Amino acid sequence: MFHQILLQIFQKLNKERTISAAYHVLRGKRSGQTIQDIGLFQLHQYFGLLPKLSRTTFDEAVNLFMQNSWLNVQESGHFYMETLGLQRAQQTPTFFFDGWHYRGNEHVFFARLSLIVQSLSHQAAAVRTFSPISRDTMIQAWVRTFLQAHHYKEGHLQQQLLTECNHVLTILPVSDASKQLVLYRLSGYQLPGWTWQQLADERKETVLDSQLAFIETLHILLNEVHQKIDDYPLLGHVAEGLKVKILLTDSAKQTAQLYEQGYSMEQIVQMRKLKQSTIEDHFVELAMYEPNFSIGPFVSYDEAQKVWQASKQYQTKKLKILHEALNDMSYFQLRLVLAKGEV
Amino acid sequence: MELEQLLHKHFGYSSFRPGQKEVIEALLQEQDVIALLPTGMGKSLCYQLPAYTLEKPVLIVSPLLSLMQDQVEELKRFGEKRVVALNSFLSLTEKRYVLHFLEQYRFIFTSPEMLLQQQVQEKLAQMKLGLIVVDEAHCISQWGFDFRPDYLRIGDWLSRENRPPILALSATATKKVVRDIRETLSLKAPFEFMYNVDRPNIHLGRVVVEDKADKARWLMHHVTETAGPGILYVSSRKRAQQYSEALLQEGVRVAAYHAGYGVEDRQFIQQQFIAGELDWIVATNAFGMGINKLDIRQVIHESMPANIANYMQEIGRAGRDGHSALAILLYAEGDEELAKFVVTGDLPTLHHVDRYQELLSQQIQPIQMLKNGELSETAFRVLDYWLQRESSEQVKVRLNHLALEKYNAVNEMLQIIQTKDCIREHLVGYFGQKLQKKPENCCENCGIHYDVIKKVRLKEKKKVEMATWESRLQQLLMGN
Ligand SMILES: [Zn+2]
Repeated sequence: MFHQILLQIFQKLNKERTISAAYHVLRGKRSGQTIQDIGLFQLHQYFGLLPKLSRTTFDEAVNLFMQNSWLNVQESGHFYMETLGLQRAQQTPTFFFDGWHYRGNEHVFFARLSLIVQSLSHQAAAVRTFSPISRDTMIQAWVRTFLQAHHYKEGHLQQQLLTECNHVLTILPVSDASKQLVLYRLSGYQLPGWTWQQLADERKETVLDSQLAFIETLHILLNEVHQKIDDYPLLGHVAEGLKVKILLTDSAKQTAQLYEQGYSMEQIVQMRKLKQSTIEDHFVELAMYEPNFSIGPFVSYDEAQKVWQASKQYQTKKLKILHEALNDMSYFQLRLVLAKGEV
Repeated sequence: MELEQLLHKHFGYSSFRPGQKEVIEALLQEQDVIALLPTGMGKSLCYQLPAYTLEKPVLIVSPLLSLMQDQVEELKRFGEKRVVALNSFLSLTEKRYVLHFLEQYRFIFTSPEMLLQQQVQEKLAQMKLGLIVVDEAHCISQWGFDFRPDYLRIGDWLSRENRPPILALSATATKKVVRDIRETLSLKAPFEFMYNVDRPNIHLGRVVVEDKADKARWLMHHVTETAGPGILYVSSRKRAQQYSEALLQEGVRVAAYHAGYGVEDRQFIQQQFIAGELDWIVATNAFGMGINKLDIRQVIHESMPANIANYMQEIGRAGRDGHSALAILLYAEGDEELAKFVVTGDLPTLHHVDRYQELLSQQIQPIQMLKNGELSETAFRVLDYWLQRESSEQVKVRLNHLALEKYNAVNEMLQIIQTKDCIREHLVGYFGQKLQKKPENCCENCGIHYDVIKKVRLKEKKKVEMATWESRLQQLLMGN
């Protein structure tokens, strides 16, 4: 899975960036360059999947790709994908990560859930004391509040949580093996969890791949819970505050609010007493980070198509070259199309 | 109330374990105490119980955050609410709150680092403490592997007037370390208690093999043929991984255990081991900190322990239920060289001293060395502490001395391995005690009838199979 993900990222960054850019995306580096790359190359789902990924592990994969003639890396770190690599990338399955919205918070969700399940499991067995699986005092305090809020002492919480978990897992479009993986990272009274190594051995894959499958399952589960929050009063509560609201600068947020209220770009320029170019930057930001923002009012579909064709033809996302090729379009329009990404 | 009654009331035990009562009585008479008790022998009860008669807070200084957390959890399990860990995990607001109400807690756990902070010292100076406990006191010793410079600094703080009695606790300590503890903490004629180091139900085996390959053959055969539960100690994470993989291939229910694993994984392995889902654990010396499994039947050392104290601590995890257990130490000629390499691998070298000074002269913070990964954290701590106090030349002498001490400790261990006399007598004598009586099947040199002790491994023990997600979920929440 790790290799497949890397192939997909390299494919999207092909010829445009150094291999390190992919590393930064997976580690979730919060630098302007990486954040821009996310929007420009549509890498949202991979952002911050592996905050602790070591450079050694990453480089090992890159070396393997080079040996396999999938990738050609130059001295400077810039790279291009060989035909074989592109073919391989084409063969990879579609993943359903949502790194952009969770950024490692799926682990907070799971730490909460683990401690809740552990507590309820011991309560069901009438065992009052146990060593908490999470040592994090923030998690412990959070779980204590959760248990009290849901009146765990009455003894019905187990059944309620069971019903919700059963429901969500039944409809979740992932394999049974993935659901099993998640369940075996939980533990309870006389029910130890399994280590990553044990799970990876069982699944006949690397530890990293098991961990990625786990993260993907949690992302899918969290999105399901967020979409139908009314169906999941308990899990919705556990997931509370963990989905990252789209990251816009404060100034761009104000512009976005005015735009939502129906003001035109020109009106916003006047109202906010800012330069046209500044407001344009805000719209590019919106195009990049706000999936529901449509660039339709500024660029026609045909024009967008043309930009993508040119981008493919010249193998670039460099504005200057594209502007020369499509001189009837403004820089602003080009930036919007690139920021929104290919549809 | 009698001490026994208190013991029953607060902890539910009906009698004391060896040493506990003596230690507690000395403390209640306001005498300083050095208590050497192994992990799992009720070390912490020595300060937990007095807290209930003192009516004044007990301050426990503990160098390891994880251990501190363990002890806090343990007290909470006994229903104690007035317990707090004052450490760097607290947010500023939490810390302010805790400090403000500090005198209302019965147990205050803290780290040496915290104790050096001015506001903490000021607060404590205003309070009347009932007892000060220095846990893992061997970390004070400048010769120890776990040396914590901050512990030396708290020595000054502890030497103030009108302090309550001090209890220094340690699981392992040589005479030298005990002397260091006494001097650094300025203890006044302390009562010293040391547990009886002899464990008569542990039979001390030793197997001499030709070389590494021979050792591997012996181990694979032994572990696949004899019964656990057992711990196999190895010298590196890599080797732990290799052995556990090889043994898994042979169908042994085994897992590797070392500090490279995450917290959850380590807990899972411990729980599986305790639950009997695993028969063997292949561990580096990171294993055993918090484990409480009584029926461990075998402890095998694939490589030489760094010193006798470590060896005793590690084999001491066997046979806590009092039944026969087997400790086997494997030895191939030259093993001591590897052991010496390992024990000094963590020390700063003379080169590091020069590098430190070089950085200073370039006005770069020496901590950069640590950030670059040029040396380990322990090594940097030792280096930094001494170079702030002494010249490069003095520190170099010190480091050489430190390395020699560690070599000596390995050599002492080697003598135990090479002796032709009773191994048990040697070990016990090393701790300044006299062996009362040799048990049957005492040691390799006195003679062990392995057939009597070893049990044949039951091969039908199957690996635990994974349940479907539905039934796992059901089991976790509903228990069936
Ligand atoms: Zn003997």
